Amino acid sequence: MSPNGQIRATKLVPGSNLYTIILALAFAVVLATAAFVAYKCYFDYGTLFEIP
Amino acid sequence: MSNLTKTLIVLLTISSIFLCGIVVTYVANADNYRQKYNSLRSERDALSAEKDSLTNQLNESIRQKDELEKSLNKQMASLRTTADELQAKLNNIEREKAELLERVNSWASITKDFSDTTEKQTQTLNAALEEVKQLKTEQIKLSQELEQTSTTLVEKMAIIDSLQAEKRRLIEEKSDLETRLDQLLQAGGKVAMVSPPVTQEKALAMPVRPLTEPIALKSVVTEVDVKNSLATVSTGSADGVKEGMRFHVTRGDEFICDILIIDVDTEKAVGVLELVQQPPKVGDNASTNL
Repeated sequence: MSPNGQIRATKLVPGSNLYTIILALAFAVVLATAAFVAYKCYFDYGTLFEIP
Repeated sequence: MSNLTKTLIVLLTISSIFLCGIVVTYVANADNYRQKYNSLRSERDALSAEKDSLTNQLNESIRQKDELEKSLNKQMASLRTTADELQAKLNNIEREKAELLERVNSWASITKDFSDTTEKQTQTLNAALEEVKQLKTEQIKLSQELEQTSTTLVEKMAIIDSLQAEKRRLIEEKSDLETRLDQLLQAGGKVAMVSPPVTQEKALAMPVRPLTEPIALKSVVTEVDVKNSLATVSTGSADGVKEGMRFHVTRGDEFICDILIIDVDTEKAVGVLELVQQPPKVGDNASTNL
Protein backbone atom coordinates (compact mmCIF):
# COMPACT_ATOMS: atom_id res chain seq x y z
CA MET A 1 0.00 0.00 0.00
CA SER A 2 0.91 3.43 -0.62
CA PRO A 3 2.04 5.33 2.26
CA ASN A 4 -0.19 8.11 1.18
CA GLY A 5 -2.95 5.75 0.53
CA GLN A 6 -4.41 7.92 -2.15
CA ILE A 7 -4.19 8.21 -5.91
CA ARG A 8 -4.27 11.71 -6.95
CA ALA A 9 -5.08 12.89 -10.45
CA THR A 10 -2.29 14.92 -11.98
CA LYS A 11 -2.49 17.56 -14.62
CA LEU A 12 0.15 17.69 -17.30
CA VAL A 13 1.68 21.04 -17.36
CA PRO A 14 4.47 21.83 -19.78
CA GLY A 15 7.65 22.59 -18.06
CA SER A 16 8.38 25.47 -20.35
CA ASN A 17 6.79 26.81 -23.50
CA LEU A 18 10.25 27.74 -24.73
CA TYR A 19 11.40 24.15 -24.98
CA THR A 20 8.12 23.21 -26.54
CA ILE A 21 8.71 25.77 -29.23
CA ILE A 22 12.27 24.47 -29.69
CA LEU A 23 10.96 20.92 -30.10
CA ALA A 24 8.34 22.14 -32.55
CA LEU A 25 11.03 23.96 -34.50
CA ALA A 26 13.12 20.79 -34.60
CA PHE A 27 10.16 18.79 -35.79
CA ALA A 28 9.34 21.38 -38.43
CA VAL A 29 12.88 21.39 -39.68
CA VAL A 30 12.92 17.59 -39.95
CA LEU A 31 9.56 17.62 -41.64
CA ALA A 32 10.62 20.30 -44.14
CA THR A 33 13.78 18.38 -44.90
CA ALA A 34 11.79 15.20 -45.52
CA ALA A 35 9.38 17.09 -47.77
CA PHE A 36 12.25 18.65 -49.70
CA VAL A 37 13.95 15.29 -50.19
CA ALA A 38 10.66 13.73 -51.26
CA TYR A 39 10.08 16.56 -53.69
CA LYS A 40 13.54 16.22 -55.22
CA CYS A 41 13.24 12.44 -55.46
CA TYR A 42 9.86 12.57 -57.06
CA PHE A 43 10.61 15.24 -59.61
CA ASP A 44 14.11 13.98 -60.46
CA TYR A 45 13.49 10.24 -60.57
CA GLY A 46 9.63 9.98 -60.69
CA THR A 47 9.42 7.81 -57.61
CA LEU A 48 10.02 8.09 -53.93
CA PHE A 49 11.39 4.71 -52.91
CA GLU A 50 12.33 2.70 -56.04
CA ILE A 51 15.39 2.87 -58.11
CA PRO A 52 14.28 3.70 -61.59
CA MET B 1 11.42 19.49 -16.38
CA SER B 2 14.83 18.60 -15.39
CA ASN B 3 17.90 20.28 -16.73
CA LEU B 4 18.95 17.11 -18.42
CA THR B 5 15.73 17.06 -20.38
CA LYS B 6 16.21 20.63 -21.37
CA THR B 7 19.74 19.99 -22.42
CA LEU B 8 18.69 17.00 -24.51
CA ILE B 9 15.94 19.04 -26.17
CA VAL B 10 18.38 21.72 -27.12
CA LEU B 11 20.94 19.21 -28.33
CA LEU B 12 18.29 17.32 -30.29
CA THR B 13 17.10 20.52 -31.92
CA ILE B 14 20.61 21.64 -32.79
CA SER B 15 21.58 18.25 -34.14
CA SER B 16 18.32 18.01 -36.12
CA ILE B 17 18.90 21.41 -37.68
CA PHE B 18 22.50 20.53 -38.41
CA LEU B 19 21.71 17.14 -39.91
CA CYS B 20 18.74 18.52 -41.87
CA GLY B 21 20.96 21.30 -43.21
CA ILE B 22 23.50 18.72 -44.33
CA VAL B 23 20.77 16.60 -45.96
CA VAL B 24 19.23 19.59 -47.69
CA THR B 25 22.61 20.78 -48.91
CA TYR B 26 23.49 17.33 -50.18
CA VAL B 27 20.16 16.79 -51.91
CA ALA B 28 20.19 20.26 -53.38
CA ASN B 29 23.69 19.75 -54.79
CA ALA B 30 23.26 16.13 -55.82
CA ASP B 31 23.47 15.32 -59.53
CA ASN B 32 20.36 14.43 -61.46
CA TYR B 33 21.43 10.98 -62.49
CA ARG B 34 18.23 10.34 -64.35
CA GLN B 35 18.76 13.33 -66.53
CA LYS B 36 22.35 12.30 -67.05
CA TYR B 37 21.20 8.81 -67.85
CA ASN B 38 18.67 10.07 -70.35
CA SER B 39 21.16 12.34 -71.99
CA LEU B 40 23.76 9.61 -72.13
CA ARG B 41 21.24 7.17 -73.53
CA SER B 42 20.11 9.63 -76.17
CA GLU B 43 23.74 10.32 -76.96
CA ARG B 44 24.38 6.58 -77.19
CA ASP B 45 21.39 6.17 -79.47
CA ALA B 46 22.61 9.01 -81.63
CA LEU B 47 26.09 7.51 -81.69
CA SER B 48 24.66 4.12 -82.52
CA ALA B 49 22.64 5.61 -85.36
CA GLU B 50 25.71 7.48 -86.51
CA LYS B 51 27.72 4.27 -86.29
CA ASP B 52 25.12 2.49 -88.42
CA SER B 53 25.16 5.28 -90.98
CA LEU B 54 28.94 5.34 -90.95
CA THR B 55 28.99 1.56 -91.33
CA ASN B 56 26.67 1.88 -94.27
CA GLN B 57 28.83 4.64 -95.70
CA LEU B 58 31.90 2.48 -95.09
CA ASN B 59 30.31 -0.46 -96.86
CA GLU B 60 29.30 1.82 -99.72
CA SER B 61 32.78 3.27 -99.81
CA ILE B 62 34.29 -0.23 -99.82
CA ARG B 63 31.97 -1.23 -102.66
CA GLN B 64 32.84 1.91 -104.60
CA LYS B 65 36.51 1.30 -103.82
CA ASP B 66 36.25 -2.25 -105.18
CA GLU B 67 34.52 -1.02 -108.32
CA LEU B 68 37.05 1.76 -108.70
CA GLU B 69 39.87 -0.71 -108.14
CA LYS B 70 38.47 -3.00 -110.81
CA SER B 71 38.10 -0.14 -113.26
CA LEU B 72 41.56 1.15 -112.38
CA ASN B 73 43.00 -2.34 -112.86
CA LYS B 74 41.39 -2.46 -116.29
CA GLN B 75 42.74 1.00 -117.08
CA MET B 76 46.17 -0.01 -115.79
CA ALA B 77 46.15 -3.08 -118.00
CA SER B 78 45.13 -1.04 -121.02
CA LEU B 79 47.68 1.63 -120.13
CA ARG B 80 50.38 -1.03 -119.74
CA THR B 81 49.50 -2.31 -123.18
CA THR B 82 49.58 1.23 -124.53
CA ALA B 83 52.88 1.85 -122.74
CA ASP B 84 54.36 -1.28 -124.28
CA GLU B 85 53.20 -0.19 -127.72
CA LEU B 86 54.54 3.30 -127.13
CA GLN B 87 57.85 1.84 -125.92
CA ALA B 88 58.08 -0.22 -129.08
CA LYS B 89 57.27 2.85 -131.15
CA LEU B 90 59.83 4.82 -129.17
CA ASN B 91 62.45 2.18 -129.87
CA ASN B 92 61.60 2.26 -133.56
CA ILE B 93 61.72 6.04 -133.58
CA GLU B 94 65.06 6.04 -131.77
CA ARG B 95 66.43 3.56 -134.28
CA GLU B 96 65.12 5.69 -137.14
CA LYS B 97 66.56 8.76 -135.42
CA ALA B 98 69.97 7.08 -135.23
CA GLU B 99 69.75 6.14 -138.89
CA LEU B 100 68.68 9.66 -139.80
CA LEU B 101 71.51 11.13 -137.74
CA GLU B 102 73.91 8.84 -139.54
CA ARG B 103 72.49 9.96 -142.86
CA VAL B 104 72.64 13.57 -141.73
CA ASN B 105 76.28 13.14 -140.80
CA SER B 106 77.03 11.50 -144.13
CA TRP B 107 75.13 14.23 -145.94
CA ALA B 108 76.97 16.83 -143.91
CA SER B 109 80.31 15.34 -144.91
CA ILE B 110 79.12 15.10 -148.52
CA THR B 111 77.92 18.69 -148.37
CA LYS B 112 81.22 19.77 -146.89
CA ASP B 113 83.11 17.96 -149.63
CA PHE B 114 80.76 19.46 -152.18
CA SER B 115 81.33 22.91 -150.70
CA ASP B 116 85.08 22.40 -150.83
CA THR B 117 84.83 21.16 -154.39
CA THR B 118 82.59 24.09 -155.28
CA GLU B 119 85.03 26.50 -153.70
CA LYS B 120 87.92 24.96 -155.62
CA GLN B 121 85.89 25.02 -158.82
CA THR B 122 84.97 28.62 -158.12
CA GLN B 123 88.62 29.46 -157.71
CA THR B 124 89.41 27.54 -160.89
CA LEU B 125 86.55 29.32 -162.65
CA ASN B 126 87.80 32.69 -161.49
CA ALA B 127 91.27 31.83 -162.69
CA ALA B 128 89.82 30.62 -166.00
CA LEU B 129 87.78 33.80 -166.34
CA GLU B 130 90.88 35.84 -165.64
CA GLU B 131 92.71 33.82 -168.24
CA VAL B 132 89.82 34.31 -170.67
CA LYS B 133 90.04 38.05 -170.08
CA GLN B 134 93.74 37.97 -170.80
CA LEU B 135 93.10 35.84 -173.87
CA LYS B 136 90.43 38.26 -175.05
CA THR B 137 92.85 41.12 -174.58
CA GLU B 138 95.46 39.21 -176.53
CA GLN B 139 92.81 38.31 -179.12
CA ILE B 140 91.95 41.98 -179.52
CA LYS B 141 95.60 42.82 -179.92
CA LEU B 142 96.04 39.98 -182.42
CA SER B 143 92.92 41.09 -184.27
CA GLN B 144 94.34 44.58 -184.56
CA GLU B 145 97.65 43.17 -185.75
CA LEU B 146 95.75 40.92 -188.17
CA GLU B 147 93.87 43.86 -189.54
CA GLN B 148 97.11 45.79 -189.99
CA THR B 149 98.72 42.76 -191.58
CA SER B 150 95.69 42.27 -193.85
CA THR B 151 95.86 45.89 -194.89
CA THR B 152 99.56 45.58 -195.58
CA LEU B 153 98.92 42.33 -197.44
CA VAL B 154 96.27 43.93 -199.60
CA GLU B 155 98.63 46.77 -200.39
CA LYS B 156 101.40 44.35 -201.23
CA MET B 157 99.03 42.26 -203.33
CA ALA B 158 98.15 45.37 -205.24
CA ILE B 159 101.86 46.05 -205.75
CA ILE B 160 102.39 42.45 -206.81
CA ASP B 161 99.53 42.72 -209.32
CA SER B 162 100.99 45.87 -210.77
CA LEU B 163 104.45 44.25 -210.89
CA GLN B 164 103.02 41.15 -212.55
CA ALA B 165 101.30 43.38 -215.15
CA GLU B 166 104.62 45.16 -215.70
CA LYS B 167 106.31 41.78 -215.97
CA ARG B 168 103.82 40.56 -218.56
CA ARG B 169 104.22 43.77 -220.50
CA LEU B 170 108.02 43.38 -220.41
CA ILE B 171 107.75 39.75 -221.48
CA GLU B 172 105.54 40.79 -224.39
CA GLU B 173 108.00 43.51 -225.35
CA LYS B 174 110.82 40.95 -224.99
CA SER B 175 109.11 38.44 -227.25
CA ASP B 176 108.34 41.19 -229.74
CA LEU B 177 111.98 42.32 -229.73
CA GLU B 178 113.15 38.69 -230.05
CA THR B 179 110.82 38.20 -233.00
CA ARG B 180 112.16 41.32 -234.71
CA LEU B 181 115.75 40.35 -233.93
CA ASP B 182 115.20 36.87 -235.32
CA GLN B 183 113.72 38.28 -238.49
CA LEU B 184 116.70 40.64 -238.91
CA LEU B 185 119.25 37.94 -238.12
CA GLN B 186 117.54 35.21 -240.20
CA ALA B 187 118.16 37.39 -243.20
CA GLY B 188 121.89 37.19 -242.47
CA GLY B 189 121.72 33.49 -241.60
CA LYS B 190 122.33 34.01 -237.91
CA VAL B 191 120.44 33.28 -234.75
CA ALA B 192 120.53 35.31 -231.55
CA MET B 193 122.19 33.62 -228.55
CA VAL B 194 120.23 33.34 -225.37
CA SER B 195 122.28 34.81 -222.56
CA PRO B 196 121.46 34.02 -218.95
CA PRO B 197 119.84 36.85 -217.06
CA VAL B 198 121.98 38.87 -214.75
CA THR B 199 119.41 38.68 -211.93
CA GLN B 200 119.01 35.13 -210.66
CA GLU B 201 115.50 33.76 -210.33
CA LYS B 202 114.50 33.26 -206.73
CA ALA B 203 113.05 29.97 -205.59
CA LEU B 204 109.71 29.77 -203.77
CA ALA B 205 109.88 30.37 -200.05
CA MET B 206 109.33 27.18 -198.00
CA PRO B 207 108.31 27.07 -194.29
CA VAL B 208 111.13 26.21 -191.95
CA ARG B 209 110.73 22.91 -190.11
CA PRO B 210 110.24 23.33 -186.34
CA LEU B 211 113.19 22.53 -184.10
CA THR B 212 111.14 20.37 -181.72
CA GLU B 213 108.36 17.89 -182.21
CA PRO B 214 105.88 16.77 -179.52
CA ILE B 215 106.10 13.13 -178.52
CA ALA B 216 102.32 12.90 -178.14
CA LEU B 217 102.17 9.65 -176.20
CA LYS B 218 98.72 8.82 -174.88
CA SER B 219 98.14 6.34 -172.10
CA VAL B 220 95.74 5.36 -169.29
CA VAL B 221 96.32 5.11 -165.56
CA THR B 222 96.13 1.41 -164.63
CA GLU B 223 97.20 1.38 -160.98
CA VAL B 224 97.28 4.00 -158.22
CA ASP B 225 99.12 3.85 -154.87
CA VAL B 226 98.11 7.06 -153.11
CA LYS B 227 99.99 6.23 -149.89
CA ASN B 228 103.32 6.04 -151.68
CA SER B 229 102.35 8.62 -154.34
CA LEU B 230 102.93 6.12 -157.15
CA ALA B 231 100.95 5.36 -160.29
CA THR B 232 101.27 3.04 -163.27
CA VAL B 233 100.44 3.91 -166.89
CA SER B 234 99.57 1.50 -169.67
CA THR B 235 102.45 2.37 -172.02
CA GLY B 236 106.00 1.19 -171.70
CA SER B 237 109.31 1.14 -173.51
CA ALA B 238 107.66 -0.53 -176.52
CA ASP B 239 105.72 2.69 -177.07
CA GLY B 240 108.75 4.90 -176.55
CA VAL B 241 108.37 5.74 -172.89
CA LYS B 242 111.64 6.57 -171.15
CA GLU B 243 112.61 7.38 -167.58
CA GLY B 244 112.20 11.03 -166.71
CA MET B 245 109.22 11.53 -169.03
CA ARG B 246 106.30 13.42 -167.52
CA PHE B 247 102.70 12.35 -168.13
CA HIS B 248 99.85 14.79 -167.51
CA VAL B 249 96.82 13.04 -165.98
CA THR B 250 93.40 14.50 -166.90
CA ARG B 251 89.81 13.51 -166.28
CA GLY B 252 87.64 15.08 -168.92
CA ASP B 253 88.67 18.73 -169.02
CA GLU B 254 90.02 18.64 -165.46
CA PHE B 255 93.71 18.45 -164.64
CA ILE B 256 94.43 15.83 -161.98
CA CYS B 257 98.21 15.53 -161.52
CA ASP B 258 101.55 14.80 -163.19
CA ILE B 259 103.36 11.46 -163.25
CA LEU B 260 107.16 11.56 -163.41
CA ILE B 261 108.30 8.20 -164.84
CA ILE B 262 110.95 6.50 -162.71
CA ASP B 263 110.75 2.89 -163.91
CA VAL B 264 109.88 1.61 -167.40
CA ASP B 265 108.77 -1.86 -168.37
CA THR B 266 107.89 -3.16 -171.82
CA GLU B 267 104.15 -2.64 -171.57
CA LYS B 268 103.88 -0.30 -168.59
CA ALA B 269 105.72 2.38 -166.67
CA VAL B 270 105.70 3.47 -163.04
CA GLY B 271 106.01 7.08 -161.93
CA VAL B 272 105.78 9.43 -158.96
CA LEU B 273 102.76 11.68 -158.52
CA GLU B 274 103.42 15.42 -158.69
CA LEU B 275 101.26 18.55 -158.60
CA VAL B 276 98.38 16.50 -157.24
CA GLN B 277 95.11 18.44 -157.49
CA GLN B 278 92.95 15.42 -156.88
CA PRO B 279 93.83 11.78 -156.23
CA PRO B 280 94.04 10.00 -159.61
CA LYS B 281 91.82 7.02 -160.37
CA VAL B 282 92.21 4.00 -162.56
CA GLY B 283 91.04 4.89 -166.07
CA ASP B 284 92.15 8.52 -166.03
CA ASN B 285 93.81 9.72 -169.26
CA ALA B 286 97.56 10.30 -169.18
CA SER B 287 99.43 11.98 -172.00
CA THR B 288 102.76 13.66 -172.48
CA ASN B 289 101.14 16.73 -174.06
CA LEU B 290 98.04 18.55 -172.94
